[in-house]
Amino acid sequence: MDAMLLEHMMNPKNYGVLEHSNAEGIGKNPHNGEKVIVFLDVSNKGDFFVIEDIRFQAIGCMTTVLAGSIITSEAKGLDFDKAEALVSTTLGMLDTIPSEEAACSEMVALALQAAIDTYKERQKDIDFPMITYKIAQNCTPKGEDADE
Amino acid sequence: MNRLLVQVHEVWLETLMSAFMSNNATTKQTLFDFSDILFRHFTWIENSCIKYGISYDYERNMIPIKVNNLGAILHDIVARLNRVVLQLVVCDDAALSARIAQDIEYLIYALNNIPDEAIYAFDMQRAIKGTELSEEATDALTLFLFEESYKEYELIMIYNYLKTHSSDINLARIFQILIDESFFHLKRFGQMMADMGILGVPRTIAKELYMVEDITAFLENGINEELLAKEECKRLSSAVSKESEELAKFFDFINNQENYHIALMKEALEFYNKALDVE
Repeated sequence: MDAMLLEHMMNPKNYGVLEHSNAEGIGKNPHNGEKVIVFLDVSNKGDFFVIEDIRFQAIGCMTTVLAGSIITSEAKGLDFDKAEALVSTTLGMLDTIPSEEAACSEMVALALQAAIDTYKERQKDIDFPMITYKIAQNCTPKGEDADE
Repeated sequence: MNRLLVQVHEVWLETLMSAFMSNNATTKQTLFDFSDILFRHFTWIENSCIKYGISYDYERNMIPIKVNNLGAILHDIVARLNRVVLQLVVCDDAALSARIAQDIEYLIYALNNIPDEAIYAFDMQRAIKGTELSEEATDALTLFLFEESYKEYELIMIYNYLKTHSSDINLARIFQILIDESFFHLKRFGQMMADMGILGVPRTIAKELYMVEDITAFLENGINEELLAKEECKRLSSAVSKESEELAKFFDFINNQENYHIALMKEALEFYNKALDVE
């Protein structure tokens, strides 16, 4: 466990509620009820949208908080194209990590994507409700039965 | 009033963290005692909110605690306490406000007289004095401490919320025991984190966790989580038993305590199920 990971665990970045958010999204694990909510403060820069500020809150384990701290730190300041590329890269890496860690990262990435999509929908309908995406990964470590 | 509650919540936690940081036994005990007093203030204000019909929550800001010297965090605690005193003017309960102000006056005096010392609670050395743990066991212990310190804080807040909103004496007794037990665990885990140089403030708790809508489901899930915690304690005890008999016995002790927690939660569950049957 390196110092960077420990630092994120000791001081999770961007954790909490963003009072002045203009888009929110949820990534949810349908198997155990764990979820992540991402709050965005997005500014409209003409042709593109920029994530000026971001927060997340998790009902989940420390690994989810760790993933949230890292991914939201990366996403802050990005425009939507780059943020969606970050989501794709994260989702593309899930096969290379243990299933329980993959589920946590997927939950955060999908919450970010949901928040981005919510913002886009609210450009057409200001009252559009917060979007929720469900993860495909199973949190249970390989070799263990989820029902055990 | 909610702003006052948030401020007291934050200064309670910061004082608790400062107790973990100190390596002076007298200072440590003083800071633990002061954090207990501040937690009681928190519960008094919460009860006052309910009495006066004021909505409140357990939201709070992140609390930066990384310091090199104890004096720095004590200085910040004193500044926060001064802000609490200023905020007390909004308290609708004059007697409560006066009582808290009197306590704080002494706390500030005593905090200003605590000797300074160097802090090692953030050095990330992850070493336990007198014990040589393998890297794997150290990583497992690190994750366990972060998970469980948050979990104990979460349980304190949930049980406190349930206790505050319960009018049944027996339920209040059960929740108070569970709060006390979780405080003990939080203090032990927090101290281990400080000793290993990885101290961190537990993250904030989501509203939907403590504003429990389905209490029987919460208790049933809680019993299952306690059973999982028992298994984790068994795994950790086994992982460290060769290197540290003391740590292994500690995790066996925590494991056995979970049996008592499960029994209490089953007792509470029985109460709520009976109440549902009556309805």
